[in-house]
Amino acid sequence: MIIDMPNTRTREISSKIDELHEERGESATGRVLTLLIWTNEDELEHALELANAASREHPCRVIAISPKRGAAGAQTHAEPEDDAAADDETSNLDAQVRFGADAGAGEIIVLHPRGGLVHHPDTLVIPLLVPDAPVVAWWPTEAPSNPSKDLLGAMARSRITDAMRSSNPYRTISDLRRNWSPKNVDMSWTRLTVWRAMLATMLDQPPHLPISTVRVTGPKGFLPMDLLAAWLRLRLNVPVVIEDVPGATAVTGVYLTRADGVLSLERPDADEGVAVISMPGQSPQTISVPARTLEECLSEELRRMYPDEIYAEVITRGWDLIHPND
Amino acid sequence: MSETTTWVNPLRDPRDLRLPRIAGPCSIVIFGVTGDLSRKKLLPAIYDLANRGLLPPSFGLTGFARRDWTEDHFKDFVRENVMAHCRTPFKESTWKQLAAGIRFVQGTFEDKSAFERLSNTVAELDRDRGTRGNHAFYMSVPPRDFPIVARQLADCGLSRSTEGAWRRVIIEKPFGHDLASANDLNRVVSEVFDPSSVFRIDHYLGKETVQNIMALRFANAMYEPIWNANYVDHVQITMAEDIGVAGRAGYYDGIGAARDVIQNHLLQLLALTAMEEPVSFAASDLIAEKTKVLSAVRIPRDLAAHTARGQYAAGWQGSHEVVGYLDEKGIDPQSTTETYAAIRLDVDTRRWAGVPFYLRTGKRLGKRVTEIAVVFKRAPHLPFESTATRELGKNAIVIRVQPDEGVTMRFGSKVPGGSSMEVRDVSMDFSYGRSFTESSPEAYERLILDVLLGEPPLFPTTREVELSWEILDPIEEFWSTLGQPQPYRSGTWGPEEADEMLARDGRHWRMP
Repeated sequence: MIIDMPNTRTREISSKIDELHEERGESATGRVLTLLIWTNEDELEHALELANAASREHPCRVIAISPKRGAAGAQTHAEPEDDAAADDETSNLDAQVRFGADAGAGEIIVLHPRGGLVHHPDTLVIPLLVPDAPVVAWWPTEAPSNPSKDLLGAMARSRITDAMRSSNPYRTISDLRRNWSPKNVDMSWTRLTVWRAMLATMLDQPPHLPISTVRVTGPKGFLPMDLLAAWLRLRLNVPVVIEDVPGATAVTGVYLTRADGVLSLERPDADEGVAVISMPGQSPQTISVPARTLEECLSEELRRMYPDEIYAEVITRGWDLIHPND
Repeated sequence: MSETTTWVNPLRDPRDLRLPRIAGPCSIVIFGVTGDLSRKKLLPAIYDLANRGLLPPSFGLTGFARRDWTEDHFKDFVRENVMAHCRTPFKESTWKQLAAGIRFVQGTFEDKSAFERLSNTVAELDRDRGTRGNHAFYMSVPPRDFPIVARQLADCGLSRSTEGAWRRVIIEKPFGHDLASANDLNRVVSEVFDPSSVFRIDHYLGKETVQNIMALRFANAMYEPIWNANYVDHVQITMAEDIGVAGRAGYYDGIGAARDVIQNHLLQLLALTAMEEPVSFAASDLIAEKTKVLSAVRIPRDLAAHTARGQYAAGWQGSHEVVGYLDEKGIDPQSTTETYAAIRLDVDTRRWAGVPFYLRTGKRLGKRVTEIAVVFKRAPHLPFESTATRELGKNAIVIRVQPDEGVTMRFGSKVPGGSSMEVRDVSMDFSYGRSFTESSPEAYERLILDVLLGEPPLFPTTREVELSWEILDPIEEFWSTLGQPQPYRSGTWGPEEADEMLARDGRHWRMP
């Protein structure tokens, strides 16, 4: 169910939601968090789809804020003819409320602020948050240069960015590194969880010999590869070489050298999603490792809301170790 | 072994909670692979684990059965059952990967050469799939077959592991039908396998709601202070089934409800509800507390007054007509087996002195439900007119184990309006489905993974099994002198005897 609410106010949205809950015999107290999404109109539907899917694991209230294109700053709609009357009858806000089949396991509120309202997203959403539940902020593409100083970011328990999908991934990550805070996390890191788990599992197997060198291969300029290299550099404390594989779309291989040979984890084609694990003295084994979807990444971030200290070490210390000249 | 205890994987960090626990290289051999449990639960659970990326690339699955099948027949059989019952979406890529490690060994349990073939298959998996000598044997077979399978495994050398590798055996309830048979069974298994490699599956303990009992009790401030005889009046633990004996007639007749359910599931739920706080959630600490509380359980002196049994008679189960137990196919028409059992137990500790625990289970009851209800004493003083609290019951915390997993609290609230004060019971509700995932993992996924990882906290130990038989044996003995259990109409909440049993204590059963 999708309800359009043009020229509306937050109070009207709240009462609409209460009304819908009552009508449907639901209670809003089961929502475990509020997910705030700040995005542009082009990305909006895609982001909502992802949030929808993630809400099946984490029933949440999704509030997406997407300013009207070119509306920032300019009072496009509310041209006051008669000041006093205009204040009462016009609004800087269009909204949409989605329920039921259109909203996963929660409800979705889409806000399109205009004019001066664009600059006050925090007070815009405050009346709509789920009471006494954590707030998570997510920027699906472009991230603020300092999420903790961002008005929405400041009220969030956890701030999720995705530098890889921003227009300039390396500039974005460099901003995020400079303005790092324990509550921030970037999805480039989340994309690595499966690889990291498989590598850790490989090392669980005896013989437990020390690793001497590490090689990571993948496409140049692929942010998760830098983070993976930085993590391995930090944890293993040995030199890590990054090798460019032209045309690849994701990390293609990790090679760990130790006295008895090379342990490797290779996935030449991310779309095919088949990885090969080779260990010294063992026949190579294949395993299905499909590329991680954004939906899985978002679900993982919503599952954990404590500060990720490993990520913190990787983007602060680890990054400098593999990019000493940055 | 010292190497593994001192060596720390540099890629692991206790702060790195994102990394899932993935089983190391290993294989699982299922005896009785064509049975119901295997088809509906085990095979789908293994697939779901693979789909969640929790199984290693070096994984083998071997089926052992009498049927004259080729490996391809068997693969088709696994695929069919996985597709019918898996929880996560069926993906061709996951299936292909899993199927590459599937083997089939045809034979009977008496056939020595079949076990040699099994031994060769397992060795071939070690060689070609890199399972590294780590193998788990799942006994999805009737207990009478345990001794022979265990013996055969020992004879062909499969029960012993090489250095650095493990062999584990998984057995399903029933763990015997009384203390003596449980000890026999235990002797047979422990002759062949090391006690620490024996995993007894009580699938209730794999359920999220059951593990949540510990979170509820020990992670919160508001329950533990009142979780004792000062505040608790009594506890009711119920497991009701709406189905009859169905296809299990052969097993069920002569066993009955108490041995089938109370001995394992309900006494485990009692242990988790009543135990003291473990010093940690490590297996040994948890088991210590469960064992302690089970050893403090006392059965009533007057068994006739404080136990009840029944047998379902014909009736209407909800909307369809059903036959009585004695008319079921495969049941002796003179059978005295109970299909309903209720007992009162006391726990002789300071925490629970004078607080009875009522356990009941039965088939063909009103609906399918499992719950633990902690019922509190009335407020010591009610500053209202007595008419105001006429409809006020006792406060209760109800842990709903299945279905509709969650927790309900019942307490009194003022009825709005009216000229006088009136207090009535209301419910406050927490539901897993609404606050967390829509589909949480099946108990068997969790338990199979725990076996492969070698993590035993959720598996009852030999001592726990012994203690539960010590509790149940005298009751069974008493019942065996009584003759026919009291019949109850199918679709109701059990025999009158059970209601009288609680009425004697001035209480009544909750309607779940």
